Amino acid sequence: MNTDPFQIGAEGVDAERLVAEIRETVATKMQAGAYAGAQLARAERFNLVNLKKDENFFDFYMESLREAVAIDINDFEIHERRRGLAPLLVFFKQSVWKLLKFYTYRLWSQQNQVNGLLLSASEEIDRKYRDKLKALEDRIAALESRSRPTP
Amino acid sequence: MTRPPPRVAFVSPRFADGPTVGGAETLLRRLAERTARAGSQVDFLTTCATNHFTWANELPAGERKVGDLTVRYFPVDDRRDVQTFHQIQNRISQFANVTKEDELLWHRHNVNSSALYEFLRTEGHRYDRIVMGPYLFGLIYFAAQIHPDRTVLLPCLHDECFAYLKTIRELFLGVSGWIFNAEPERDLAARLYGIDTTRAHIVGMGLDTFPTDPAGFRQRHKLEDTPFLIYSGRREPMKGTPLLLDYLDVFRQRTARPVSLVLTGTGPFDPPSSLAPHIRDLGFVDESEKHSAMAAATAFCHPSVNESLSIVILESWLAGTPVLVHAGGNVMPDHCRRSNGGLWFRNYPEFEEALMLLLTQPDLRTRLAQNGRQYVLDRYGWDQVDERLFAALA
Repeated sequence: MNTDPFQIGAEGVDAERLVAEIRETVATKMQAGAYAGAQLARAERFNLVNLKKDENFFDFYMESLREAVAIDINDFEIHERRRGLAPLLVFFKQSVWKLLKFYTYRLWSQQNQVNGLLLSASEEIDRKYRDKLKALEDRIAALESRSRPTP
Repeated sequence: MTRPPPRVAFVSPRFADGPTVGGAETLLRRLAERTARAGSQVDFLTTCATNHFTWANELPAGERKVGDLTVRYFPVDDRRDVQTFHQIQNRISQFANVTKEDELLWHRHNVNSSALYEFLRTEGHRYDRIVMGPYLFGLIYFAAQIHPDRTVLLPCLHDECFAYLKTIRELFLGVSGWIFNAEPERDLAARLYGIDTTRAHIVGMGLDTFPTDPAGFRQRHKLEDTPFLIYSGRREPMKGTPLLLDYLDVFRQRTARPVSLVLTGTGPFDPPSSLAPHIRDLGFVDESEKHSAMAAATAFCHPSVNESLSIVILESWLAGTPVLVHAGGNVMPDHCRRSNGGLWFRNYPEFEEALMLLLTQPDLRTRLAQNGRQYVLDRYGWDQVDERLFAALA
């Protein structure tokens, strides 16, 4: 994962230009897949207000969701913050975890199915409205060209 | 310098006196005090409530002298139907089609004070100007209709669902003038309501310079070697606090940079468990401590998209610290553009890049902070604000 900061390219401080450079860097890194995953989808859950103003954000969010939708139930480490008894408590938690696998795996599998279905539905709604908008834009363009007076 | 008129009233649902009152109320109080200091007789009309969730009458009604101001406290009506209010508000929040009758019902079950209205009806003609705000309270909606010819609205307008109501449009178009905090706020009102911008004034709030003790702050809070972001103000979803907590948590995990977060202000918050040990929640602190905390921070981060001025980012610049703000609101990115004193982000990736810049390039941080400070000194000194305020009241 590339999180190196980019260097400012010119003398002086121009906030507008700096933000433009940040956006260019983000676009490049995004294409390279540097920003994806469940972490980011979660972080953006309170930023959905941007959906109405920023079309690219929706694409980014959907991409993050695609990365996040299939949860790997084993992809977390069992740990214990309390020192002293930590090894014992970790062993205990791991044992309980193994004992309950027959139950949690079933829930996990069902949750993954639901996640997948919800993502498919969101993608389908997105595709449907994009097509609809495109058709309307084409129609407006056709009507405008028809009503334009000939020179 | 322009002189303010001899008798002026300020009206606000709450009087800023203590830790629980927000920026709009503080702004109205400060402007009232400046008007009084310039020689006008100033009355501040408000309610007995201090809590903007319950609107319970917690203060005694009556007239009290607070500095140069005569503050008149009126009881909040107890006829509120909170359930109806919330039902309609939920529909408004979803941009559902709400009838004008429902909007009026929403105003009626918002905070109201018949006693204050009665006072304005009988005594309001004695004031040359009546300044009132912020815009989305029933109290302001009804009070503005009593003497519209002498009422100046100080709306603290945001681009939010409430701003699109028919009755709010009527409120804006019914008064004799407007005091806005910044140009984007005025432009928003012009776009939404088609106001006559020749009667609109950009005023804002003045700030005095202050001493800071960043080293002392770091020492007191054991933050000597830890870079930290700061946020000051109410902690709630409307202010974007959960977004900041999530972003910083992800930032720490993705970049392995040990950045902490210092919070001052009030309100509950629920951080991710992995971030919780790296948050210093100072709660409500005095101004001196807040300013020192700002001065010690890497940057002030304001994640809200609902600001009409943002006093805290101006304070942060005065404290010598750059800002990092959400691009979704119009006002704070506008401050940053005009001052070259801060950066703005639309989403997490931009937040990450901007914060990395601020953490790794101290020279850039210093120059941004200097630009911001100069911007505040040039534009938000009390002399400049007084001139603009008294012109608006003339």
